[in-house]
Amino acid sequence: MVLNRRDFLKVSAGASGSLMLSLSLPGCSGLPTGYEEETGEWRPDAWLEITRDDRIYFTLARVEMGQGTYTGLTTLIAEELEVAPEAIEPRFAPVADEYKNPLYKLQLTGGSTSLAASWVPLRAAGASAREMLIRAAAGVWRVDAGECSATDGRVIHPNGIDSMRYGQLVELASNEILRGDVALKPSAEWKYIGKQNRRLDARAKSTGTAVYGIDVSLPDMVYAVVTRSPRYGGKVQSFNAEEVRAMPGVLEVMAIDRGVAIVADRYWRARKAQDALKVRWDFSEALGLSTQEVFETYRKAADENAGESERSEGDADRALETSERVVEAEYSQPYLAHATLEPMNATAWYRHDHMEIWAPTQAPDLGRIAAARVTGLAPDEVTINTTFLGGGFGRRLTQDYIEEAAAIAFRVDRPVKLIWSREEDTRHDLYRPAMLHRMKAALNEGELTGWQHQIVGPQILNWYVRNAAPAQFPWTPKFLYDALGKVGGWTEGIATPKDISAIEGAIEYPYQVASIDIRHTHIDPGVPITWWRSVGYSHNGFAVETFMDELAHEAGQDPYRFRRGLLAKEPRHREVLDRAARLGGWDTPVPEGRARGIALMRSFGTYVAQVVEAGLENGSIRVYRVAAAVDCGQVVNPAIVVDQIEGGILFGLTAALYGEITLEQGEVRQSNFHDYPLMRHYERPEVEVEIVDSTETPTGVGEPGVPPVIPALGNALFALTGKRQRTLPLRADV
Amino acid sequence: MALRLTVNGETHSLDIEADTPLLWVLRDELGLPGTKFGCGAGLCGACTVHLDGQPVRSCSTPVEAAANREVTTIEGLGNGDRLHALQQAWIDHGVPQCGYCQSGQIMSAAHLLATNPSPGRDEIVAAMTGNLCRCGTYNRIIAAVESVVAGKKAAQKEA
Repeated sequence: MVLNRRDFLKVSAGASGSLMLSLSLPGCSGLPTGYEEETGEWRPDAWLEITRDDRIYFTLARVEMGQGTYTGLTTLIAEELEVAPEAIEPRFAPVADEYKNPLYKLQLTGGSTSLAASWVPLRAAGASAREMLIRAAAGVWRVDAGECSATDGRVIHPNGIDSMRYGQLVELASNEILRGDVALKPSAEWKYIGKQNRRLDARAKSTGTAVYGIDVSLPDMVYAVVTRSPRYGGKVQSFNAEEVRAMPGVLEVMAIDRGVAIVADRYWRARKAQDALKVRWDFSEALGLSTQEVFETYRKAADENAGESERSEGDADRALETSERVVEAEYSQPYLAHATLEPMNATAWYRHDHMEIWAPTQAPDLGRIAAARVTGLAPDEVTINTTFLGGGFGRRLTQDYIEEAAAIAFRVDRPVKLIWSREEDTRHDLYRPAMLHRMKAALNEGELTGWQHQIVGPQILNWYVRNAAPAQFPWTPKFLYDALGKVGGWTEGIATPKDISAIEGAIEYPYQVASIDIRHTHIDPGVPITWWRSVGYSHNGFAVETFMDELAHEAGQDPYRFRRGLLAKEPRHREVLDRAARLGGWDTPVPEGRARGIALMRSFGTYVAQVVEAGLENGSIRVYRVAAAVDCGQVVNPAIVVDQIEGGILFGLTAALYGEITLEQGEVRQSNFHDYPLMRHYERPEVEVEIVDSTETPTGVGEPGVPPVIPALGNALFALTGKRQRTLPLRADV
Repeated sequence: MALRLTVNGETHSLDIEADTPLLWVLRDELGLPGTKFGCGAGLCGACTVHLDGQPVRSCSTPVEAAANREVTTIEGLGNGDRLHALQQAWIDHGVPQCGYCQSGQIMSAAHLLATNPSPGRDEIVAAMTGNLCRCGTYNRIIAAVESVVAGKKAAQKEA
């Protein structure tokens, strides 16, 4: 691959003569780029700095929440720069335009996009730096640069004996003028891509030295807790400030938008004071729904409104009317919490008219806006420092915890660390929306001739746009509204304002059927929602792939072969399906008391099929084995691909087995891991992951492991019991 | 109340409310943030430390219960710059994803190996079941612990 360097690279000499490269994303990766057509400018997208003492810093514009960007993106630079990935020190980026995700025009990490968007530009940056260093050395030696080479952080003389360290060359290299094209290494010469198996953050995370948001420590720091309305949207009417203020260690008690904050010299003193706090709430505008009413509202909406057409091929109504057999089913899924193991937290310090914040966030620029809006400061009067994230899963795209910390710190003259309890984290989450699906299919002599899917539920983007409304994010600046409007297109990387969060996974229905009709009936009951690992695919995957299983059985066909027969035009789908079936032993006898289920879903550009082997043990569902086949294009780090797919599988199984947030008169009933359980060690299945060898542009793996496992488990249970479960979580006692 | 606490071999004198959970004393008073807060109710294991060699959930252990006893945290598990064999295995097996639970996971595993040098798979799983991981690293954890057990057996054979 050859790139014109002029288009994406800027070189400068950094402090003490280091070599600094800023780069932007050229338009050759097939993805939207950092190029601003209106101004004709490239937005630089990353920084690479090589110092005179051979330190190499790479500013990581995406955050590390377990998904492996810290290792994966650094590997891309290292490959072309001819250094070991371990020789590069990644640093988390501050908020700045150059670190925005070009797909969203926001500095956020989500949608399994980081690697795909960085695949070409980061390698190009590494290659350019390498070539400049080689040219600088060639100038010193007075030899032809084409005869020099680079390896392990040194440039090698054509005689094969002499060499110079990169650090010795950086000053000269920074004077090199970039001309012409840069060639990327052919894949046959890769040393790390496709081979790198070590995680660069493993040591820090195995020794307790990795700094998460909750670990930030500042001089004279104090601690804050917030009591929030038990019902979403409730307002503080009054509270016993005097009594709480008299508690040991308490420094401040204050009302903020979302509740009452207590600031104390120690965290535990703040918590104990919180026990003494009595708040009278005004619930006149608060949420009062129960979960049952949510689904009643959905059903009523579905009856009254067939919804917006999202995909239409052939004539599904006619296909259903004239069909020999029509199969119908209704599916539903509950609200789900994210349950990141590190609870929400942020540390803020307001001094010298400037707010500095340290936080585990997936979107530091949104955090900056949230802090600015709640304090009245200008965005450039707010600095955000990003830390390691103790899990993200979409939760930390919403900046409510930063907003709270900023509001409190604005009124305290010391740094303040706000920590949510687990109970608060569970009850004041923004949830994966509860959804309803109505499915109809036409079967004629075993052939699927019509497919109708009505999706019923809210859209997530409304919860960002709705920020003008009273509750969590009443930010209204027009510039942000526009930027946020573009988030909707994120999964496919097309800068379109359309929000596909409710319909993704349904509209890409891959099976070849003559008539297809996919509709969305929009209804939002007002329960706060946000993105949750794999988003719409998490619920549409269950509806689509369970219904496909039902149809296979109705048609008297094997569920694997039924799907396969409808994928003649989708070779990548079919390949992963075949491989999963083989790996999962689909055609081999299943042990007594167990059964297998299969499912397939392409999400975020990555194809995943899974076979689950499950049974019932002592009145509980037991998952023994999951076999997964994955096609995510070119693999950068095989170990991380396997980890992410396996992690996604366990995340999906937790949802399938346990995940359920319920509301009673507007209050969330669950609170901690006893009533919102996560899968434990003893429940873990054996997991096997097979990766398809591919040279296609890499696609993300953080989310695609989740969607297929939920229907695959349900389908296995049907095969075992003959009883079809159409609502989640799955139960052993149906 | 005034109390003495020995953490990773170092004795500290503190004046603090007796019911303060050990977790917050370690993190905020002694500057040892490697031990994590996950649930505050002893349900997730992220805050696991050793108290006189026994694993405890420091989020629900009042500091007075640790007075005049020996506490070991993830920071004190290795020997100076030398990592504990489990920490090295965690790195070699690429166990951590987000990593937040791993201090607790390693402390639980370290207690198991200190009391049972060659546990079988079922014993490992049983010892680790109180430690939650949201990222789903369980299989890697089991493999890492088993590799340390296998390494010890191999070393014994050589000796």
